[in-house]
Amino acid sequence: ARSSPALLLQPRLDPERREAAAAQLLLLGLSPALLRLPTERLRERAEELRRLGLDGGRLQRAVSRCPQLFHVPRKRLEAAVRLLRERCLFTAEQLREVLGTCPAVLLEEPRTLHHQFQYAYFRMGVRQKEMVKARLFRMPFAELRNRHIFLERRGLYETPHKGQTQTSNPKLKDIVQLPVKDFLASLALSTPEEYEVFKKLLAREEEEEEKEEEDVDAQYTEEDDDLDR
Amino acid sequence: MNYGLHLGALWPSVRAGLLCEQKYGALLNNFAAADHVPEELELLNAADFISEAPQKAQQWQRSAAEGEAAGGCEEGTGEGRTVVQAGMVTQAETSPPLCTSISSKIKCYTFPRGDIMRFRPARPDALGLLDYYLMDAASLLPVLALSVQPDDFVLDLCAAPGGKTLALLQTGFCGHLAANDISISRTKRLHQILHSYVPKEVRETVSVTSYDGRVWDQVKGGTFDKVLVDVPCTTDRHSAMEEDNNIFHKRRTKERQMLPMLQLQLLMAGILATKPGGEVVYSTCSLSPLQNECVVERALDIAGSQFNINIHVEDLSHFRTLFQDTFSFFSDCRLGELVLPHLTANFGPMYFCKLRRV
Ligand SMILES: C[S@@+](CC[C@H](N)C(=O)[O-])C[C@H]1O[C@@H](n2cnc3c(N)ncnc32)[C@H](O)[C@@H]1O
Repeated sequence: ARSSPALLLQPRLDPERREAAAAQLLLLGLSPALLRLPTERLRERAEELRRLGLDGGRLQRAVSRCPQLFHVPRKRLEAAVRLLRERCLFTAEQLREVLGTCPAVLLEEPRTLHHQFQYAYFRMGVRQKEMVKARLFRMPFAELRNRHIFLERRGLYETPHKGQTQTSNPKLKDIVQLPVKDFLASLALSTPEEYEVFKKLLAREEEEEEKEEEDVDAQYTEEDDDLDR
Repeated sequence: MNYGLHLGALWPSVRAGLLCEQKYGALLNNFAAADHVPEELELLNAADFISEAPQKAQQWQRSAAEGEAAGGCEEGTGEGRTVVQAGMVTQAETSPPLCTSISSKIKCYTFPRGDIMRFRPARPDALGLLDYYLMDAASLLPVLALSVQPDDFVLDLCAAPGGKTLALLQTGFCGHLAANDISISRTKRLHQILHSYVPKEVRETVSVTSYDGRVWDQVKGGTFDKVLVDVPCTTDRHSAMEEDNNIFHKRRTKERQMLPMLQLQLLMAGILATKPGGEVVYSTCSLSPLQNECVVERALDIAGSQFNINIHVEDLSHFRTLFQDTFSFFSDCRLGELVLPHLTANFGPMYFCKLRRV
């Protein structure tokens, strides 16, 4: 497995070696499509990723978890990084940690990332340091919200007031990392049946809120139309 | 109000229930020509929880008894076990008459536990009567507990907007029904409901009034067979968020402190309006013991000490057995029964307690 980054950077291969290389890549859980990328491009991307802090074993782990890192446009990577640094205010060290543990953030739409960050920051009252430790971005946003709002409605999670740092809230790390069974048993004090129903109800609530907003928007547009006439 | 203390480990579930969409039941309108409706609802997986309850309860009792028997063979008979079995026997003995006492003419469809399907809006039949009334299915329990018998004179002391009034009429047994509510605007809604659901000849057996229910006993003392006292209360469904909303909380504290007194006065009036031998059901949609058991206890006191009226509190624990599949009951009420909201069966809160004037 050690050879993989080197392999990725091989110069153009003859068909036989190419086939062998493809088989190796597959074994490593990587996409043989990588072989179709120009060597220059591979080298560049590996360089970029290293510069972002994914050095040594980190790069290897990140790429094997998330081979698309070699395929997304550079702009997307840069946008994600800018967002994490400039708008979410992660320190360089924290950013390295985030990329090392959740490389897939580099593939995300900045808007989605921002949304998830803001949710954890404002709605859940969690600081950057704890987000990094919890591997926040590994959990799909919908799942995070399901768990958080479930706790909240059960009276087991309170949004901290401004300036308040100590709360009896469960740790973000546990909310994000516990398997659902343990989350229900030890944090939410609930049964799977209740959680299943809750998720369905919450999804419907949202759907209807969205629809209402759309309707209100539509009303405004109609009114605007009236004004035009 | 700290329900956490009172409901203990159940509170997180109840709180989540209060803060999520509540479930409805469809009270079938027996006066409408809507024969197709049961079939339509059954296709959607809904069932009439009232008519299916006795069969289900019997099944549970049978399988519980079998479980007991099997367990007894394996483990031998300890003393604890014998006590449990004795309990089972009394339940089995008392349940058949209890099953028959549930008025089977009231039909209410609900979706099964965990099913979040909603009912379509009610539709009119050829004569314009609506086919069903959507309401919290737990609201039918006080009406069922009242168990109206043929030709009973019935008083619904706080009747508006009229869901329970309509259910009382569905029994077909009310010889006369007095539906009262202090609020004129809410009695208008009651009139509307009667118009949309009940044919004229039945409507004529209902008299709608707008007295202050606290003085009802002076209007007509001791003449009713059955009295329903469905008092105003803190509707916990709407106020569960108040904890987080301090301004609202404070503004309404005064009104809340006055509630138990108003509730007590209304229950006293209800008791005084009942014939000797007649029955009163007191109900609220609150979780608060201050508005539930405490009000009943005070009323029993006052009835005895000031009016020399003896009152028997009827045992309604069979409701818990019968309807355990549909509702989530609180098992620790000192008096009466309480339905707790729960995500998988999100009805209630509904407290009800039945009193017989001896
Ligand atoms: C919980 S609601 C009744 C709901 C009704 N039984 C139903 O099932 O549709 C309580 C009612 O009590 C009425 N009320 C409040 N104070 C009253 C009083 N002093 N006398 C009579 N009714 C009163 C309110 O107007 C309100 O309609």
